Amino acid sequence: MKFRCERDVLIEALNNAGRAVSSRGGSLPVLSGVRLELRGNALTVTGSDLDLTITMSTTVHGEADGVTVLPSKLASDIVRALEPGRVDVEVAGDEANITSGRSQFAVRAIPATEFPRITEPEGEELALDGAALAHGLRQVVSAASTDESRSAILTGVLMAAEASGLRLVATDSYRLAVRDLSSTSFLQEGQSVLVPSNALKELARLLGDGDTVRLRLGDRDAAFTVGDTTLITRLISGEFPNYRNLIPKNQPACLTVARASLLESVKRMKVVAKEPSTPVKLDMSNDGLKLTVNAQDIGSAAEELDAKYEGPELTVAFNPEYLVAGLDAAEGDEVTLECIDALKPALLRSLGNTEFLYLLMPVRVS
Amino acid sequence: MRLVIARCSVDYAGRLSAHLPMAVRLLMVKADGCVAVHADGGAYKPLNWMNAPNTLTERDGEWVVRNPKGETLTITIEEILSDSAWELGPDPGLQKDGVEAHLQELLAANPHTIETGLVLVRREHATDIGPVDLLCRDAGGVAVAIEVKRRGEIDGVEQLTRYLERMDLDPLLRPVRGVFVAQQIKPQARVLAESRGIICVEIDYDELRGIESAELRLF
Repeated sequence: MKFRCERDVLIEALNNAGRAVSSRGGSLPVLSGVRLELRGNALTVTGSDLDLTITMSTTVHGEADGVTVLPSKLASDIVRALEPGRVDVEVAGDEANITSGRSQFAVRAIPATEFPRITEPEGEELALDGAALAHGLRQVVSAASTDESRSAILTGVLMAAEASGLRLVATDSYRLAVRDLSSTSFLQEGQSVLVPSNALKELARLLGDGDTVRLRLGDRDAAFTVGDTTLITRLISGEFPNYRNLIPKNQPACLTVARASLLESVKRMKVVAKEPSTPVKLDMSNDGLKLTVNAQDIGSAAEELDAKYEGPELTVAFNPEYLVAGLDAAEGDEVTLECIDALKPALLRSLGNTEFLYLLMPVRVS
Repeated sequence: MRLVIARCSVDYAGRLSAHLPMAVRLLMVKADGCVAVHADGGAYKPLNWMNAPNTLTERDGEWVVRNPKGETLTITIEEILSDSAWELGPDPGLQKDGVEAHLQELLAANPHTIETGLVLVRREHATDIGPVDLLCRDAGGVAVAIEVKRRGEIDGVEQLTRYLERMDLDPLLRPVRGVFVAQQIKPQARVLAESRGIICVEIDYDELRGIESAELRLF
């Protein structure tokens, strides 16, 4: 294999593919590498941890076709350290030479035959509005669990067909985010898939305004293609929690407050509430909203905000991280926080917007 | 169970002699015949006691407890402040929490809590040197031998290592991965296990039992 290209072209390909490279190491050492395949002037770089595979194709000046696997982090670090400009890559036997200007690196390559064969799902290719999908994903993905040891199902985002379009749902059991994308649909009526949230985070990162996502959906995996990059992810099998029953129908207390003000205020409270277990208390009354934090051995903070409140006086405490995430995800100038009592889930919505909701469990305080 | 609060002095005579001067104490006479003298302190430990079998002779102002070895506990009572007796009935015994058998049972029912994709093949999988607690298959179909302990110490790692050696001789199983599971794994045991390619997993027993935590959850 022999090719040359601009340094930044190679950096982008190595970085994009490298994001899927297994950080766990383990049973297949080859998965710590990225696979480079050159056919003519087309260079394809692939990284995979078997659950998630990212492949990026780019155009280089090819001189000799071939396939190799290079240690992902090392190759990426080397290329990033080079001066901007032309980079030459030549692989002979088990050694890859990376040359730029007067710099030369020799890297031990991993036998390409050890790299697992990744197959794309064979379903029909569908085109989606990338901007809307990326927007929706950014609103819900953070509510998915990152703790695989607890439940793999909760690490996924449910993509379900609804009468109004596509619904995205994520929950880690402490909060639940639901987003309806009325303009987007790729599933049959009643169909749903559970996609790992880390794959969707990568997809959202790849998507820019105006991009179109091409999707192929298989029984066990899904492939999302954005421009020259394809992301293949295993789907999660299992039954997603029945989230519909969790959403309360009537809440006697409703706070309406400026979203940005509340967001900034909670962030200020977080300065004192360094431990995630330190809750921020919201005292809601007809006089408005008062936020307080008491962190043992650290100190306390309090702040009052103008707010409209309907209902009995109520104090509810939340994990500030989760409250910030919800306020970040909600849009619009004003949000409503609807509560039943201090121990029941609170519903956060953007005022007048029914396409997104964020259900947040309070924290028990004495 | 008879409980007597009394101002008393106590003299023990036997292998040695001991004297407790006059003071208010709790005299406990259990249904099995044990007699114990407690002060208002010292946790569970009596000041003096005599195990069953023994004979208790009550006279006016004096109890004498004698055992077959000829040891005597003489309690001289100046004043009885309270004297009550209660029928406690049969005792169900101490049920220790987190015993290995229960852990093993819970993990067998929920192998995914050890590792995502793990499926139980059988409990107590027999090898020619003894049974390994759990035999599972991982998501890739590889056999996984799991040893469950309350406390993960070096002995447990050695035990699992021996099982793995025997199981690797079985062409239907090999290669066999090892996973060492415990509520708490000692650092030395972890180092030894990992040097042998054995994965260590600490599990939360309460969570496994589904005990409600202080955290509120949606479901």
